[in-house]
Amino acid sequence: MSMVMERSLKYLDERLGTSSLARKTLRKVFPDHWSFLLGEIALFALVVLIFTGTFLTFFYTPSVKEVIYDGSYAPLRGAEVSAAYDSVLRLSFEVRAGLLMRQVHHWAALVFVASIVVHLCRIFFTGAFRRPRELNWLIGIGLLFLALGEGFTGYSLPDDLLSGIGLRIFYSVTLAIPVIGTWVTYLLFGGEFPAGDIISRLFVFHIMLIPALLLALVGAHLAILVLQKHTQFPGHGKTERNVVGKRLWPEQTFKSVSLLLFVTAVLALLGGLAQINPVWQYGPFVAYNVTSPAQPDWYIGFLDGALRLGPPWDLNLFGFTISEVFWPAVLFPGIAFGILTLWPWIERRFTKDRAEHHLLDRPRDTPIRTGIGAAGLMVFFIMFLEGGNDIFGVLLNVTVETITRILQWALVIAPILTFLVTYWMCKSLSRSRLRPARINAGVRLSRTHDGGYETVSLEPAASDGGDRAPAGAGSHSE
Amino acid sequence: MTAGDQQGSERVAENRELTGDQRKAERSAAIALAVTVVAGIGLFVVYFAGGQTQIEGVLFAIALGGLGVALGIWANRLLDAREVVEERHELSSGAAGRQALGDALAEEVGPVMGRRSLLLKLLAGAGGALGLALLLPVLSLGPAPGRSLKVTSWTRGRRVVDENGKLVTLDTVPEDGFLTVFPEGHEGAADAQTLLIHVRKGSLRLPPDRLAAVPDGTHVAYSKICTHAGCPVGLYRAESQSLICPCHQSQFDVSDGARPFFGPAARPLPQLPLGVDEQGVLVAQGDFYEPVGPAFWDRNRGN
Repeated sequence: MSMVMERSLKYLDERLGTSSLARKTLRKVFPDHWSFLLGEIALFALVVLIFTGTFLTFFYTPSVKEVIYDGSYAPLRGAEVSAAYDSVLRLSFEVRAGLLMRQVHHWAALVFVASIVVHLCRIFFTGAFRRPRELNWLIGIGLLFLALGEGFTGYSLPDDLLSGIGLRIFYSVTLAIPVIGTWVTYLLFGGEFPAGDIISRLFVFHIMLIPALLLALVGAHLAILVLQKHTQFPGHGKTERNVVGKRLWPEQTFKSVSLLLFVTAVLALLGGLAQINPVWQYGPFVAYNVTSPAQPDWYIGFLDGALRLGPPWDLNLFGFTISEVFWPAVLFPGIAFGILTLWPWIERRFTKDRAEHHLLDRPRDTPIRTGIGAAGLMVFFIMFLEGGNDIFGVLLNVTVETITRILQWALVIAPILTFLVTYWMCKSLSRSRLRPARINAGVRLSRTHDGGYETVSLEPAASDGGDRAPAGAGSHSE
Repeated sequence: MTAGDQQGSERVAENRELTGDQRKAERSAAIALAVTVVAGIGLFVVYFAGGQTQIEGVLFAIALGGLGVALGIWANRLLDAREVVEERHELSSGAAGRQALGDALAEEVGPVMGRRSLLLKLLAGAGGALGLALLLPVLSLGPAPGRSLKVTSWTRGRRVVDENGKLVTLDTVPEDGFLTVFPEGHEGAADAQTLLIHVRKGSLRLPPDRLAAVPDGTHVAYSKICTHAGCPVGLYRAESQSLICPCHQSQFDVSDGARPFFGPAARPLPQLPLGVDEQGVLVAQGDFYEPVGPAFWDRNRGN
């Protein structure tokens, strides 16, 4: 160790007592499996979002004040646009590396939400949410909501025609909330659409309120993960009472930093080569104009599809109105995300399983859970498809009416079929006793003799197959 | 080298003699790092040459990717990666631990609180009152909705203009054509946007009082705000006389009072009563017959 390093470690240790803590942390063991990296991808996308986003705030103007555009994009020169839209064009065309930053930011947002969703699926299908991890499940759901909110607010900031329509729809959805809808909408938007304050409010949400909450919850999410230690798939030498894997230093650190670099590299490539959200093509927001076809970012697609599939039923209750928007855009998400949020407790009600679990389920071994999860994904997938019905209509040369009718029926039938097929597949896979490749024989496993963190012995494990504990062995009574 | 000295210590005895495979891995990692250096320099050059989004993105990706590859090779082929077992600790502090915390919490505070239930009640009341008072500024965020969602700037006698303020007459819009119009002085107003459609004579099937508000029997006006989710209803199919909202594809039958016949919208687009003044300019006879736009809770109350 170099002199400088030694001295700075000594300095810190004498003041903060960091050395033994750091040593313990460096030796923490994390199980190895590709699916455990999904959450990390989300974390790294967030890192990219924070850096690129900070850069963007230096140029963005959160104002709807009218200005005359006189920048370098010729088709819009002389047009009356908002200061927000003007600043987005300026940072895209005039600021060096600005367009790259903006496009990387947008792609990173798409990847951020996508990796959260896939990570959520991994947690769900392997039963990682079971005791003692219910609280971290709740935090994870909170992070998903915040990510969606962050995505929607950010995507609305350029004040272009497409995102303006998205805001208009969002406004109509909040109006549809029974009893308090009009008040909620007016407090949120600052008045009747398009009230002048909305862009500056979205900005505060996007760069301060939501990120602050997001980072706090990410911290809690990771702290709980470290405290409870990671779950692992059952296999050679892995029990409910131990963690078998690689140490934080050096293996996991090298792998994680490598993954961070790859995630960033892919985002840089996308941001450089794949044009995204070209707001200059949509034009500035004008309240009486509309674009067609109009698609939101992918994670809002299900909601837009739900609105297209929704039945034209409004309701009159004692003179009060329940909007047709209420069913697909308020009630459906409320129920779907309600079930998702409460899933650990819903499942427990049926399985009566209160034991602690650190070994993960294989999806095939829990066919009902896997079937329900697959059916739920199918519901969202059909809505997502319907969100692009106008595009598919042109591509397939069918009318949007036909696509909508087909998908309305599919919404009723496909989830049931999906459940049955998934259930059957799980059952037969389970029966077939095919072993997934990851249960790797020949792991060189070393065990500590005195309860320390790791062993130094490099001899092949002697305890081959002798320590395979049954599932549930780690439970303890209250 | 000195393998004998290190054995028994916690540190892994490193074998300095690299195997052939490791030497190969080391070479690959070195090449990857060199690629990063080159791409990094390239980024400098491109930036100072004026910047170019695509090249910047590619070079940035190569620089990051090279570093990633090098670390990946390092992690997988140069590190002596071992599986390590760590025991889990009991998460719970146990009944005794919880009891101890309960005692610690109650020790000083408990006796005082226990005897003074009035104090406790007032404490709760004070907290509640202060909490509510602190929430009041939330109400400053927006005006009270009042009747604002039920009225627009269309009033009796207000002349009809296009988005640029140009007056609209019976000759402005050709047959089968349509135009987005506004009340004079409110050009571009979001809630007053109206579609003026020139339909073929006799094609409207409206109740007599509503037909009377259609100048010449051919110039019918409907709110342009979709009654479903508020998008501008921007598409008109003249042959079937139907209006289509591009957002969620609600379709409205212009000849039948803009009744929705496909898609998620439940209510017709409200009609705007029109007339013609002495100069031949179209004028409103009043506001829309119903509140415009998407439904809200008290839409049908107190009209």
